[in-house]
Amino acid sequence: MPQFDRREFLKLVGVGAGAGVATACSDPVEYLIPYVVQPEVVTPGIPNFYASTCRECSAGCGLHVKTREGRPIKLEGNPESPINRGALCGRGQAGIGRTYHPDRFQGPMRRNEKGDLEPAEWSAALADLTAKVKSGGAGVFVLGGDPGATASVQIDAWVKAVGAGGRVVYDPFAPEALRAASRLVFDVDATPIFDLSSADLVVSFANDLLETGISPTEHSRQLAEARDVRTRRDGGARFVYVGPRGSMTAENADEWLAAKPGTEGILALALARIVVERGRGSASDRSALGSLLDGFDVDAAASATGLEADSIRRLGEALAAAKSPVALAPGVAFTSRRAAATAASVLILNQLCGAVGSAVKLPPAASEPKPAASHREVLALIDSMKSGKVQVLLVHDADPLYSLSPSTGFAEALAKVPFVVSFASLPDETTARAHLVLPDHTPMESWGDVSPRPGIRSIVQPTFRPLYQTRAMVDVLLDVGRAMGGTVAAALPEGTFQALVQAAFADTDWRKTLAMGGVFGEPPSVGPVSLSPDVAKLEIEPPLLEGEGEWTLVAYPSPLLHDGRGANLPWLQEVPDPVTKIAWQSWVEVSKATAEKIGAEVGDVIAVETPFGRIEAPCLPRGALRDDVVAVAIGQGHTVGRFASRGGKQTPGEPRGVNVIAVLPSATDEANGRAWLSTKAKLSTTGRSERIAFLQTHDNQRQRQLAEAVPVSALAAAPAVSAAPSGGHGDPHGGAHGDSHGAGHSDAGHHEMLLPFDAAKDALPSSFHRWGMAIDLDRCTGCSACVVACYIENNIPIVGEDQVLRGRVMSWIRIERFVGPGVVDFVPGRPAHVDNGKLGDTDIRHLPMVCQQCGSAPCEPVCPVIATYHNDEGLNGMIYNRCIGTRYCANNCPYKVRRFNFYDYDHENWPEPMHLGLNPDVTVRGQGVMEKCTFCVQRIALGQQTAKDQKRAIADGEVTTACAQSCPTDAIVFGNLRDETSRAVQLGNDPPREYHALHMLNTRPSVTYLAKVTRGPVEA
Amino acid sequence: MTPPPAVSVAELMRPAPSPADSQANRDLLSVMGTPGLGYWALLILCVVIVHVAGAVWVYQVYEGLGIAGYSHPVFWAAYIVTFVFWVGIAHAGTLISAILYLFRSKWRNAINRSAEAMTVFAVLTAAQFLGIHVGRIWKSYFILPYPNQRGLWVNFKSPLVWDTFAISTYATTSILFLFIGMVPDLAIARDRSKGWRKLLYTALALGWQGSSKQWKAHNRAVLHLSGLATPLVLSVHSVVSWDFAMSIVPGWHATIFAPYFVAGAIFSGFAMVLTVMIPVRRIFGLEQYITEYHFENMARFILLTSLIVGYAYATEYFIAWYSGVEPEKTSFWYRAFGPYWISTWIMIICNAVVPQLLWFKKIRLHLPSLFVISVLVNVGMWFERYVIIITGLSREYDPAVWGIYTPAWPELVILAGSFAFFGMFFLIFIKLFPVVAIAEVKELVIHEKEHAGPGHEGEFWEHSHGYEETN
Repeated sequence: MPQFDRREFLKLVGVGAGAGVATACSDPVEYLIPYVVQPEVVTPGIPNFYASTCRECSAGCGLHVKTREGRPIKLEGNPESPINRGALCGRGQAGIGRTYHPDRFQGPMRRNEKGDLEPAEWSAALADLTAKVKSGGAGVFVLGGDPGATASVQIDAWVKAVGAGGRVVYDPFAPEALRAASRLVFDVDATPIFDLSSADLVVSFANDLLETGISPTEHSRQLAEARDVRTRRDGGARFVYVGPRGSMTAENADEWLAAKPGTEGILALALARIVVERGRGSASDRSALGSLLDGFDVDAAASATGLEADSIRRLGEALAAAKSPVALAPGVAFTSRRAAATAASVLILNQLCGAVGSAVKLPPAASEPKPAASHREVLALIDSMKSGKVQVLLVHDADPLYSLSPSTGFAEALAKVPFVVSFASLPDETTARAHLVLPDHTPMESWGDVSPRPGIRSIVQPTFRPLYQTRAMVDVLLDVGRAMGGTVAAALPEGTFQALVQAAFADTDWRKTLAMGGVFGEPPSVGPVSLSPDVAKLEIEPPLLEGEGEWTLVAYPSPLLHDGRGANLPWLQEVPDPVTKIAWQSWVEVSKATAEKIGAEVGDVIAVETPFGRIEAPCLPRGALRDDVVAVAIGQGHTVGRFASRGGKQTPGEPRGVNVIAVLPSATDEANGRAWLSTKAKLSTTGRSERIAFLQTHDNQRQRQLAEAVPVSALAAAPAVSAAPSGGHGDPHGGAHGDSHGAGHSDAGHHEMLLPFDAAKDALPSSFHRWGMAIDLDRCTGCSACVVACYIENNIPIVGEDQVLRGRVMSWIRIERFVGPGVVDFVPGRPAHVDNGKLGDTDIRHLPMVCQQCGSAPCEPVCPVIATYHNDEGLNGMIYNRCIGTRYCANNCPYKVRRFNFYDYDHENWPEPMHLGLNPDVTVRGQGVMEKCTFCVQRIALGQQTAKDQKRAIADGEVTTACAQSCPTDAIVFGNLRDETSRAVQLGNDPPREYHALHMLNTRPSVTYLAKVTRGPVEA
Repeated sequence: MTPPPAVSVAELMRPAPSPADSQANRDLLSVMGTPGLGYWALLILCVVIVHVAGAVWVYQVYEGLGIAGYSHPVFWAAYIVTFVFWVGIAHAGTLISAILYLFRSKWRNAINRSAEAMTVFAVLTAAQFLGIHVGRIWKSYFILPYPNQRGLWVNFKSPLVWDTFAISTYATTSILFLFIGMVPDLAIARDRSKGWRKLLYTALALGWQGSSKQWKAHNRAVLHLSGLATPLVLSVHSVVSWDFAMSIVPGWHATIFAPYFVAGAIFSGFAMVLTVMIPVRRIFGLEQYITEYHFENMARFILLTSLIVGYAYATEYFIAWYSGVEPEKTSFWYRAFGPYWISTWIMIICNAVVPQLLWFKKIRLHLPSLFVISVLVNVGMWFERYVIIITGLSREYDPAVWGIYTPAWPELVILAGSFAFFGMFFLIFIKLFPVVAIAEVKELVIHEKEHAGPGHEGEFWEHSHGYEETN
């Protein structure tokens, strides 16, 4: 052994420590591990699509779930589904977040003696539940939303088999008033189906159909079709909105009549009277009406609704003159205690105008697939709970503790139930009080079927193995029943829930149906109907409102959070409200006059007080709100959930925003539905002030050629625009080319080009492609589906409220909202006022702003390290690895579409298991680099590779961006500008409407905007 | 071998210094004497602030730029403001050393050393802000064009690349200038010091013996460096201004930016010289060498450049109105009356209004007033860059994404750190190197003895011509 002295030892220690420190500095090496046995359908790098159904609301849109290497990563609309036709709204897109939610229950949870939920084994949990159900007997109740058609049937069967007390269907936003109205007016117990696509006059009676109606994606598309100015140079259908608040739907109307809330029925009957006076309506209908219309002359209606008599008369004449008008009954926010009668008046108006049977379809009562939700039954259940009759309460597909008004006493009643079981997969207010949580699969993991309306049976299919130890609720119930043995087990069907769903489709070819996504048929119709004689007895009066206050409280569903179910999905919090552009927060909308009266300004916290409670939130004065109304969105104010609340994850913490439901009474309308428009409110200031997380603080475009509009008269002389029908996603045959016409619109010769730049250089002259877009502002409703789609497709980090307040949101596409041409006053020391919209003003323009991929891009020459460059196909490439973060490009971008990674969002903003849902085709950006819209270059690349493999060119419509793919109204069309026959070129070639944003800067954008068309107030 | 003699032969051969010579030497070198308590307190304060700021910067690198106050769409903020501010400060030194040298303005001799030192320290301070500002400091060497295995090259179209060249060239030139000018003085210091200082000065003096050949070479070098540095005075801040002017941001995209920025730089540079030299002169008793006459001359410069800067302000507003370009008009309206109005009016009052007091000789000769004015000018010039950068960016073309920026605490700490960094170097400098150019002042003192009687100090500075460059 050699001499090993102290010095030698110290040297070796030094070398060893140095080596250890040096190697510890780098990240551990990670390897890509190939499949040992590769699943047959999985090719690494190639996505698979599975047809399924969206479960985020009751509309039941079809889905194509995009999976990569066995993981669902994005939801797109199913083009086969007649409801959404390939599009998908923002809420639907965000639904994937439930699967990868970091708060998810990873297995059954049982409450221990200390009162905390702790993990349990399934076997023990099931045994526990079986024992409780057995002993509970008639004291077992099921409370929940719509779990889907087969599940609903099975739950009913189970309730019967185990001898449970009953099942109560609870859906806070169920359209029960409309269904009741159909019973009243036509004696048909079914929810009428509205089809706007062939209407020429659409009147929405306070129905926010474009954002929170019965089927927003479908109605948005239908309305856009009816108003398609590409083919209808007269502007197509006219759209009138009646209601007290300038909602997103109102902003898309041609005319907005700001009627008092709850007086829609009076207006509808006054209009009906004009229609009848002009000779419309069959003789039998007229006689059925009896003297109903007598009390509803224009002047009486004018004083009741607060509208001008002339406007009412004009609208009545227009309805009488229209060929196929249609009227929509009030939406959720405006269902008063007299909601059924109000909806009935609207149906009467439809009948008299001849819309019933064409635009309004009545399915036979027997075909109605959904169980009727009944608020009165919920209240009865609460009474039973209070009296101690309920031993076991099973809660599924609902968060009643959040969405039921505290004045119903649900919280106290729940405390009296000895055993509460929740099937929620994500923690919510109700699970925080449950004794046992048996987490259900998320829709990405489960089987099921949904029947949003007669004729449609849409399948929910799992796209991967459940991430955690979860089980389908119906399987759990069946297991419990079978474990009880005897007659109970015998009464239950054989097989698993999956088999039961499959059995429900026994009448079809299962494999084909599964691939298709379901059975998509036309709804059956009852045939011609006439007014029931009962309508003569209708009592139409102003709404019954409780409380004393000066203001009517309008609690409206949030366009993104819906009834609050979206609040724990980070994208829906971060994407701003389409109208107010506020994210992550609650606010109280008051009119400017009201704000002045109570002495509050933007951000001052004001109190809304009703006899049922008091909430405090920052004030947002708006011009577009009646002076006698105060409006608060439903959806915030959760105390549980990492994103939904400020403090809580699984246990209640500090709420995020306020829950307006807390100040509402437990009102029920005459049809047992829930009455949301039910109370008056008092307002007062609190002396406090909060910063509001606005994503846009100026809505005046200062005539800078951003969101342009043209009067409809300007279109008359111009030829119609022809284009092939929508290609749809991933459909290689969708690109059938329309006729090329006129001089054409190559990007080499845009007629507005002022300066002699060589546009051929915008892309490599030899390149076959120059990617571009045509964005139609007349079709954009502002719904923000594209924004959510972009977030998910491109792995865009969520930055949270604090960073949004600092203006550091990362979205690559945003919807800018401008109020007409307008004028802004500068007020030193305060931000300019947020909303210049006036009551009744509908000149509001929603502008989707993406990277314009400029031919002469200001961002490119200023980058010192060529991190942003121009590629051969005309795209502004962004090389994250080269970027050193000087941010000069963002300064020099006039469209301000570049976003900077101020923090290491890569590592911090994707808590496990959210990272599993990242798109593997898109780099997750690190700290200190710039990022921006790439026109979904990864989708272009996939299309190019596919086409190259098949030795062909990319067909038009084969490749599209995530935003264009999701758009319900086809407002964004992506394509090759060097192909004269592509839809993007064809649709962009509309001289009266086409323009480039900020044209005066001569950046030569590849995005052609098509100006919004102002159609003006309706005329007969 | 026998050890070398303790005293070098050259030293033995040197003639005894003349009395006038040694008086100046003593006065000027006494500045470098043992520092007092106040000096140490100040130096330690600076060092502590530099370290705190450094720690904040490390934290920023670790956490991300998010800890600063950036708010979409304001992507350049306090760091770039401070960068431009220090680049501006760096201008007086070269102007005094190079341009005034070429113009044979002998009065510069008393202040040129300190001004040159300030130039070097200001450039070094400024250069750091380029690193502090970027998102990925660890990749910032990508901006240097050199053949590399990455196969990457830089974008010569980008003003930021020009900027990199401009700043590095300026730093190199000004360091050379400072050093070459200091060589004869270092030799004097060498001859009068012991211990480690002796070693240091011996090394730095490059074997200076004061021979006429060396003087000739030295004067040539200074002359040529002056020639090289003169265009830099104009070009560096022009290039910095092009960082803004080459963009399309309303309020930035203007042709007057280069002269406007250069004038502003000289303006702020002279103000900084005043701010620093007034206390230094007082503390070290240099009244005999740096006289009111110098301060008056600098005050005149400040007045002149203040008029140019004020004129530029007026021109910007006029052009914004006259162009008829709406975003431009809005941007300038917003500057004066928007949320940043306080900054704008600080800028206008400090830079264009307050210096008008310098029309009065009494104020030009009243050092406390000059000091206050110079501090105000420095404040005003920082705000000028703040106003240009922040108001320009916060309201560009798309009103939907207009925003508001407020500096966050890390930016303020690092701003304070930049002053401490500059102060720290300057404090070390005045104790380590002759802060007044001894040799050059001595020339003048000799001239004074020859051409004027005692008691005509001011006169001698003014009439000190006729000095032959190539003696």
